[in-house]
Amino acid sequence: MMKRDKKEEEEGGANPFYNLEKSSVLQEARTFNETPINTRKCCHILTKILYLINQGEHIGTMEATETFFAMTKLFQSKDLTLRRMVYLCIKEMAYIAEDVIIVTSCLTKDMTGREDQFRAPAIRALCRITDTTMLQSIERYMKQAIVDKVHSVSSAALTSSLHLAKTSPDVVKRWVNEAQEAVNSDNIMVQHHALGLLYHIRKNDKLAVTKLVNKYTRHSLKSPYAYCLLIRIACKLLEEDNAGPMFEFIESCLRHKSEMVIYEAAHAIVNMKNTTAKELAPAVSVLQLFCSSPKPTLRFAAVRTLNKVAMKHPAAVTACNLDLENLITDVNRSIATLAITTLLKTGSESSVDRLMKQISSFMSEISDEFKIVVVQAIRSLCLKFPRKHSIMMTFLSSMLRDEGGFEYKRAIVDTIIGILEENSEAKEAGLAHLCEFIEDCEHTVLATRILHLLGKEGPRTPQPAKYIRFIYNRVILEDAPVRAAAVSALAKFGAHCDELLPSIMVLLQRVQLDMDDEVRDRATFYLNILAQHQKALNSAFILNSLQVSIVGLERALHHYTMEPTETPFDLKSVPLATQPLQELSKPIMEASSGPKSTEKAAASRQDVYAEQLASVPELANLGPLFKSSSLPVELTESETEYMVRCIKHTFPHHLVFQFDCTNTLNDQVLENVTVQMENTDDFEVIRSVPAASLVYEKPGTTYTLVRLPEDPTQVTTTFTCTLKFIVKDCDPNTGEADEEGYEDEYVLEDLEVTVSDHVQKVVKPNFAASWEEVGASNELEDTYALASMKSIDEAVKSIIQFMGLQACERSDKVPDDKSSHTLYLAGVFRGGHDVLVRAKLAFSEGVTMQITVRSTDAYASEVLASAVG
Amino acid sequence: MGFLSAFASWLGMKKKDVNVVVLGLDNSGKTTIITKLKPAEARTQDIVPTVGFNVEKFQTKALAFTAFDMSGQGRYRNLWEHYYRECHGVIFVIDSSDKLRMMVAKDELTLMLENADIKMKRIPILFFANKMDVRDSLSSVKCSNMLELEKIRDKPWHICNSNALTGEGLEEGINWLTDQVKDILTQKKK
Ligand SMILES: Nc1nc2c(ncn2[C@@H]2O[C@H](COP(=O)(O)OP(=O)(O)OP(=O)(O)O)[C@@H](O)[C@H]2O)c(=O)[nH]1
Ligand SMILES: Nc1nc2c(ncn2[C@@H]2O[C@H](COP(=O)(O)OP(=O)(O)OP(=O)(O)O)[C@@H](O)[C@H]2O)c(=O)[nH]1
Ligand SMILES: [Mg+2]
Ligand SMILES: [Mg+2]
Repeated sequence: MMKRDKKEEEEGGANPFYNLEKSSVLQEARTFNETPINTRKCCHILTKILYLINQGEHIGTMEATETFFAMTKLFQSKDLTLRRMVYLCIKEMAYIAEDVIIVTSCLTKDMTGREDQFRAPAIRALCRITDTTMLQSIERYMKQAIVDKVHSVSSAALTSSLHLAKTSPDVVKRWVNEAQEAVNSDNIMVQHHALGLLYHIRKNDKLAVTKLVNKYTRHSLKSPYAYCLLIRIACKLLEEDNAGPMFEFIESCLRHKSEMVIYEAAHAIVNMKNTTAKELAPAVSVLQLFCSSPKPTLRFAAVRTLNKVAMKHPAAVTACNLDLENLITDVNRSIATLAITTLLKTGSESSVDRLMKQISSFMSEISDEFKIVVVQAIRSLCLKFPRKHSIMMTFLSSMLRDEGGFEYKRAIVDTIIGILEENSEAKEAGLAHLCEFIEDCEHTVLATRILHLLGKEGPRTPQPAKYIRFIYNRVILEDAPVRAAAVSALAKFGAHCDELLPSIMVLLQRVQLDMDDEVRDRATFYLNILAQHQKALNSAFILNSLQVSIVGLERALHHYTMEPTETPFDLKSVPLATQPLQELSKPIMEASSGPKSTEKAAASRQDVYAEQLASVPELANLGPLFKSSSLPVELTESETEYMVRCIKHTFPHHLVFQFDCTNTLNDQVLENVTVQMENTDDFEVIRSVPAASLVYEKPGTTYTLVRLPEDPTQVTTTFTCTLKFIVKDCDPNTGEADEEGYEDEYVLEDLEVTVSDHVQKVVKPNFAASWEEVGASNELEDTYALASMKSIDEAVKSIIQFMGLQACERSDKVPDDKSSHTLYLAGVFRGGHDVLVRAKLAFSEGVTMQITVRSTDAYASEVLASAVG
Repeated sequence: MGFLSAFASWLGMKKKDVNVVVLGLDNSGKTTIITKLKPAEARTQDIVPTVGFNVEKFQTKALAFTAFDMSGQGRYRNLWEHYYRECHGVIFVIDSSDKLRMMVAKDELTLMLENADIKMKRIPILFFANKMDVRDSLSSVKCSNMLELEKIRDKPWHICNSNALTGEGLEEGINWLTDQVKDILTQKKK
């Protein structure tokens, strides 16, 4: 708190707009209505308004509109500065005020007028306030402006067209001739912007893009910016299919006379997905050359690029080692940091100590952003040289103690956590460092995260008792969210370690006097559970907590309270939390930094589906949505007349197949579109919900509802599917369809229903506790020889995919040198029954698997156990 | 500000700035009239239907006018009122060859007169019965009757026939407006 006050004071001194009041500024804006206009004063007020908007101040529609109209009166002044301020404000207010089209004529006049200084900004403002319906009326002026001989006007028109293309692609497409003419401009910016627009217009037509690139690679462009763009376009084409001439073009750019183009080409080549060492070499030598350039920007660009690709192409980057060594002492610390961290990533184990020493000598001089680069390098080093973890841990912990912002601290914490999860030897040291860190940690998010980790990992270490003091200190010293997290962590120790239980009970009793409701409630809750001394309860409510979707729970509870009923609320009716998709695939190198992982979307994809399905009357009353398949199944080849993809939704006793269909023919309209499926294996097709009409390129959805068989063990089948519809021919230009149509059908690929459609992944942080909790009453065990598997790793991957369960305890990662491995899987079967699978795998000429299934439901066990067979 | 005008204003000779709003249905000739009032060299390009409004300046012997030439299309007419508050006068343009829409013009006129910002003020209203050159166009008297101008009691008003293409009739109207505005301004001073 103290810190913040001081900061605010400093800011207040330097910023004249500090402490601006929205209401008084808007009051002042009434000055605009006065005549004659006081130019200076009005400019100043406009600046204030811009400042407020850019500070994120919310301005209501009414007040914004009033201010906007007052501002329009300033058009009577011819003052250059004032008018340009007005343009800026128009752009900022375009989406907050109403009726902003009122300035259309004024802006049109300015954009076509004699004052060149007005023309470009007027175009930008005009395009911002113009929507598709109004665009027709200014189209003529836009076309003229694109080919205007004044460069700034032409550039403004081109870039504005790019923005307009987002909302009115069809209109902007008609300006292709003008854009083409502008590409021939002798101004480098106009050429660049024109090429950008041209590409945007043709983006979806691969043939046209190829032609475009071919054309301009031959007539050499004058603008280096346009060249860079061309390289990027060529790269995209290359990504889609490996066409030879595109690569040749990019490679030839390595010999261009502009450094910008050379760098762009080198950057493109080293970032390509598949490149041979031979292709890579010339690009790397260009970067190597840049490393010793007298220009710091070039050195920076080169070393940054090498840093990024160091893990992918270590051999190529090692070739530059000598040059990188020279950059270690670069006066520009950013360059030095990147050089060292690149060397760390590629260097040998023996050089690690020297480099770490070097970098610690100036850690205090570099900005947080580059400190994060260092942290990331350390993380990849630990993966490469697990034996070095103790040096790294020490280094990281000293970094934790230093000054630094939230992002930086988070990167370090992420890295430490990453290391200790990967490497069990590092676990205790890592936890110790984190314990020390939370003793003095100003970031609530990090403190709660670490406490959660301590609760999860601490009880399973050899000496769990030593963590208790650190955790309990938090309960005494911190604010409520941290205290609550600490309470939960304490409870986990109590639940897992019998010898600590009495002391934990005492501590929790003390917490019952806490001032905060949440903290107190948690303590009471845990105390009552722990007092039962039942392993199953501990596992279900403390060690492995609730798995439901929060949004789903809210909705279900709301629903429950709306309809008074005698029956108690059934937690099984709440949809489960779906696993975030990146869970397993997240590459460890880039796990830290970046705000992307912090805020979870409030409603998951499945919550969205649940809502959509509930709004279709024919699909109501199916019960809670249990699962939606994560990846849609394509039922058509790509680039055929119609595109159909299917998402499977599983309900307690039904399946709903959602077919998303797209009609790619612009001379047809399809009506009454359904997918016909045949009854098979006791799966009964009940009804279809047709898509009323499918017009060109506008996706539509049809559903088919299927009842599951009575026999609870019968869960898999294959459906044949046919798309049925009425075709009406239509005019491709107007979209007007004939009166008469005829029936037609289109055969789709078969659709499979597998075991994984009936189970939902669930993480059990403490698998052993859950295993005991579920118990052996429905246990099934079997042994299989998986002859086709070439390694344990391969077997693990296919078992996970086949069963659709969640791997727990990181058992999906198979150590390289082991010939046996145990895989732990957890999930919930349709109907809300827990299922746990333990698969012991051994490798000797093929994989043998002993699989044990436990479930709260006998049928679920049976289905899962027979799934592999 | 040029030397001469600075000198003039020092002498107290600078022309007084006044605002007028130019109203009327679409296609009635508002933009054409205002353009014609400007000196020939200041006229810009072709005239197209106005979207929103235009600001134009023109001078008479005694006053410097700033005219807010509004768009007459139906969906923009409710935006006129934003420009009522600061105006010293109204120019209302009628297409005298458009008999069919004379009643629409009358409705818009009534709405304008009832607006709080206009109702309270004693400001002059100048009517142009425009397009007098068109065959079968209505005379100013006929227009006046159809719009029931005689019912306007609390504001000075005047109607004259005009042809915006040639400029015929415009001077008469603008001179009247200049005198009226000047009168009101001097009365205020007293
Ligand atoms: N999908 C697809 N697009 C094509 C095919 N042939 C041409 N096009 C696209 O159609 C557009 C016109 O192609 P052009 O080859 O310029 O047509 P043209 O007949 O020479 O036209 P003019 O230049 O007016 O003589 C471009 O966008 C091409 O990429 C084709 O076989 N399939
Ligand atoms: N014959 C004739 N035509 C005229 C006269 N005045 C204007 N016009 C024509 O009428 C048409 C409309 O004129 P504008 O000045 O654009 O009309 P406006 O009232 O500004 O219309 P909006 O801006 O849409 O409200 C143009 O084609 C003019 O040439 C006139 O006195 N006689
Ligand atoms: Mg051709
Ligand atoms: Mg007009």
